[in-house]
Amino acid sequence: MALFSAFQTTFLLALLSLKTYQSEVLSEPLSLAPESLEVSIDSARQCLHLQWSVHNLAYHQELKMVFQIEISRIKTSNVIWVENYSTTVKRNQVLRWSWESKLPLECAKHSVRMRGAVDDAQVPELRFWSNWTSWEEVDVQSSLGHDPLFVFPKDKLVEEGSNVTICYVSRSHQNNISCYLEGVRMHGEQLDPNVCVFHLKNVPFIRETGTNIYCKADRGDVIKGIVLFVSIFEETKDFSCETRDLKTLNCTWAPGSDAGLLTQLSQSYTLFESFSGKKTLCKHKSWCNWQVPPDSQEMYNFTLTAENYLRKRSVHLLFNLTHRVHPMAPFNVFVKNVSATNATMTWKVHSVGNYSTLLCQIELYGEGKVIQKQNVSVKVNGKHLMKKLEPSTEYAAQVRCANANHFWKWSEWTRRNFTTAEAAPSEAPDVWRNVKSVQGHCVVTLFWKPLSKLQANGKILFYNVVLENLDRPSTLKLLSIPAPANGTELTLDQCSYQIRVTANNSVGTSPASVIAVSGDPGNKEVEEERVRGTEDGFCLSWKPQPGDVTGYVVEWCERPGDPLCDLQWKNLGPDTTSTVVSSDAFRPGVRYNFRIYGISTERIPYLLEKKTGYSQELVPSDNPQVLMSNLTSYSFTLSWKDYAAESQPGFVRGYSLYLKSKAARCLPGSEKAVLSDDSICCKYKIDNPKQKTFVVENLQPASFYEFFLTPYTSVGEGPQGAFTKVTTPDEYSHILIRVILPMIFSILLIMILCYLKSQWMKEKCYPDIPDPYKSSVLSLIKSKENPRLTIMNVKDCIPDAIEVINKQEGTRKSLTETEPTKPTYLYLLPTEKSHSGPGPCICFENFTYNQAASDSASCGHVPVTPKAQPQLGLLTSSENGPKALGKNYVNSLGEIPAGETNLNYVSQLASPMCGDKSSLPTNPPEPALCSEYKTQMAIPMGLASPPSITLLDEGEHDH
Amino acid sequence: MRAQLMRRTLLSLVLGLLFLSTPAMGSCLDNYQELLGQLQKQADFMQHTSMLLDHYISIQGLDKDGLKEHCQERPGVFPSKDALQRLSRQEFLQILNNTLGHVLHRLRTLQKDIPKAQDLEKLNIAKLNIRGFKNNIHCMAQLLPGSLEKTEPTPTGPGASPSPTPISDAFQRRLEGCRFLHGYHRFMHSVGQVFREWGQSPSRSRRHSPRRGLRKGTHRTHLSSRNKRLMPRGWLPR
Repeated sequence: MALFSAFQTTFLLALLSLKTYQSEVLSEPLSLAPESLEVSIDSARQCLHLQWSVHNLAYHQELKMVFQIEISRIKTSNVIWVENYSTTVKRNQVLRWSWESKLPLECAKHSVRMRGAVDDAQVPELRFWSNWTSWEEVDVQSSLGHDPLFVFPKDKLVEEGSNVTICYVSRSHQNNISCYLEGVRMHGEQLDPNVCVFHLKNVPFIRETGTNIYCKADRGDVIKGIVLFVSIFEETKDFSCETRDLKTLNCTWAPGSDAGLLTQLSQSYTLFESFSGKKTLCKHKSWCNWQVPPDSQEMYNFTLTAENYLRKRSVHLLFNLTHRVHPMAPFNVFVKNVSATNATMTWKVHSVGNYSTLLCQIELYGEGKVIQKQNVSVKVNGKHLMKKLEPSTEYAAQVRCANANHFWKWSEWTRRNFTTAEAAPSEAPDVWRNVKSVQGHCVVTLFWKPLSKLQANGKILFYNVVLENLDRPSTLKLLSIPAPANGTELTLDQCSYQIRVTANNSVGTSPASVIAVSGDPGNKEVEEERVRGTEDGFCLSWKPQPGDVTGYVVEWCERPGDPLCDLQWKNLGPDTTSTVVSSDAFRPGVRYNFRIYGISTERIPYLLEKKTGYSQELVPSDNPQVLMSNLTSYSFTLSWKDYAAESQPGFVRGYSLYLKSKAARCLPGSEKAVLSDDSICCKYKIDNPKQKTFVVENLQPASFYEFFLTPYTSVGEGPQGAFTKVTTPDEYSHILIRVILPMIFSILLIMILCYLKSQWMKEKCYPDIPDPYKSSVLSLIKSKENPRLTIMNVKDCIPDAIEVINKQEGTRKSLTETEPTKPTYLYLLPTEKSHSGPGPCICFENFTYNQAASDSASCGHVPVTPKAQPQLGLLTSSENGPKALGKNYVNSLGEIPAGETNLNYVSQLASPMCGDKSSLPTNPPEPALCSEYKTQMAIPMGLASPPSITLLDEGEHDH
Repeated sequence: MRAQLMRRTLLSLVLGLLFLSTPAMGSCLDNYQELLGQLQKQADFMQHTSMLLDHYISIQGLDKDGLKEHCQERPGVFPSKDALQRLSRQEFLQILNNTLGHVLHRLRTLQKDIPKAQDLEKLNIAKLNIRGFKNNIHCMAQLLPGSLEKTEPTPTGPGASPSPTPISDAFQRRLEGCRFLHGYHRFMHSVGQVFREWGQSPSRSRRHSPRRGLRKGTHRTHLSSRNKRLMPRGWLPR
């Protein structure tokens, strides 16, 4: 081997000697120059990749060489980068080197050249630089195309805060290009007439989709730009590893944000353990599992590397495996031997190593709170006795464990629920009673409060009530009342009884609660006092009793208006003389009555005091109905006796009477008040709530008043209602009434009398004028043979005689009366014409008849048929009558001077032929001689004598 | 603003489900007027830039002065309103169907440049809407003489521009995307107007009445020839 080495060295030296010789001969030194230099570009990463080789090496020769690389930009003289790259070179080995440009390669032309030198101690004589290679030019611009404008780098991904160089390449010299970063203009440096460079420092993260950088030419619609993807790559936090079974390590961490990276470029995580040299690529972004080798490696040194497209971040963790044990949750957990007060909890733990001890923690929960907490050391099996439990109570017990030697983490809890057994009730029920006397019996209503959970020690099944007659102690009576009753009603005689009440559950009986009922109900009259309630309740106090008192009981109804009342009571000790009664059931405006009893040594309650009050007083809910009486000119009385002040939602302290009047000043006893409607009136204040009447005095007669009465409590007055109107009478009106009323009464009486005696009055004062139709002559005519003869027609009559009628007033006969009257005829004038009548009649004026005829169209005329026309005809004729009467109306015939009077009244004899209707047109009736009938007519004086004067036309003949 | 966005999103979801309800039920509305009304409303709804473009501009950071001016429709990508109005109804529906198919394809491409899932929500809703709208177009074509199934897809012309050649430049891609969406909303506006004209033109409606109304064959033949004379199939004037 040594021989071979010596031979090789000899050969190499010989070869070098030969080369040296040749060099000396050829006058140029032997150099190991880089050859076949090729330059390629990676635009996305802005990298130049160089590759070359050295050919002049001997076969299998390896030499350390250094290569000097020069990179120039735009022109070769502008060298921007010089770097020596050292490496071991073999013959014909392709060497590679890369360079990342800050400036996008498209922005400028780059040129590369290099030279090499042997940097090997074995051949120190060759440590000189070879010749430079020729410049290799990299010109990306030439391959860009013909677009007028370009911006670089395209879609570059950088980390937030890094520096970035941007450029644009313009094809036109004439265009003025301006560039913007997110709308904000950038200012750069001109690299050459077509290229401008912008240096961005500390680039910010703007949005996930990248930052827009764009350039525009001032002419045309040319816009070009790039998107700069800025990434935020936060450090991984909370890196931690632990084991639950010493077989697998679970490492977790909180991945930092990697915003700004597309999904395919987002970070990946690698876990590396330096002691074992093992490495794993994590599949999840926040955790990774590591298999613990069976060779019991204790120490671990992990490196978690988060890596994305741009960079890596690592965190380290060194730990002892046994110190990172997170035990599994205990299993086979049971609660055994559960009694009323004790229970035993057992469990098992997963073994962690061969000799490890676990610390287990037991928590006991009652009603949602931790009531016991205990730590127990456990190898494999755990056991714990829980004491001081409450009977018949639900509990929850839970256990968890941790490594006792090197605490790391508690395991999860394992929880079990259990309920303790029942026990006999520990307390006597709280009992109260209500005693009533009904039909000679004592009706006792017993009430008791349900025992609390702690007192009941289980489910109360029934209550036993034992009645013992105190007068006959041997007499006992037992009542069993099933739960959940909270009372019972007992009908007892008037004897005294002692009542014992016990509560019973499935295990036993509670102590007895004793209460006695005496023959005397003890409802003595006790004056009721008022108490004032507060938000905290009613503060009640009473006088201490001088005798032996075993305690006090305060009783009240929570629903006073309700028949069921909801009786409540409160037991107090013998030394207590005050208490505060509070309840959520107390409502404002409700009056609560409290009774305070003392309990004697015989357990007999006796009433001590009564209190009443409101938890909060309110204003009266309604106003009284006010009655007004005794209205005089100066006063009136108001009364509201039916008003129930006790039913108001507050103690009525009095009443307010509002009086409105036109008077400007208020009356004595009242004061001005302003109502809610801003009207002003006078207010009387009645301070005595028991006063239910009020006299309003000093009023003005004949004045208008309005009043309104409302009660008031300590809070205020009742609702405003309507005012009642009242007007005081006039001062003298009562006198007038005393005079006028009797007068009116008298007048009425007289009028009634007059009415009743009207016939008599008529006869006395203005008797009827005799009616010729009703004359007795008719009956005479009827008695004649000729039935056709009726009443004489006036025009057919020739006045020739006066009939003197001697007839009693009021004895008028009807036409049908057959009793003949005896007429008296007085023949005054002999007729000039021949008459068939038996003799002359006397004619004279009958003023009475005439007047009546003028006054009444119907006076004395009995129409055969009740037609209006004939009456009108009469009126027509009578119209002439009064005219004709003129001044002669009252004159007698004898008094009228001849030639002066125009008219005269002439009586006519009624002829039996007159008035025959059927014969009237054809056979003018002839006047009957000395007929009983008489009629009168007014005729002109000059015509008085001719019998042919007609006052009525043909149509009026039936009169 | 956020509430309004939420309302619009909800409305979009409802409409999207409405659009999709018909194919899901596997049947078309056979009431021409009702279907036409739906198409009008849907086109009116989809024309709003708030449905897609505004959101795209916002998430791509194109809402900057000097930049948003370049987000204008590139002529020739979508058929003009005049061109659509000159088409026969069958041709119109066919062009519309093809164009919306290209829009769907382009939206899938745009989706790749949106990294956050929540930003994709609008895009996905828009795709749902377009699918539903296409289905309604299909249903309308069923009511018109000569359904879409019988005709071959119209060759790509100026009215139904294919997807442009892939652009590696993210900036140009987003600018082109913006222009495309601008054109899309304008196109839907024109589509809505054409549908409105359908409803307002009883004579045309009678000529292109639903199939049930055209069961008398002579009329149908006349219509076909006339329509072909009006506008050769597949040719869209600018």
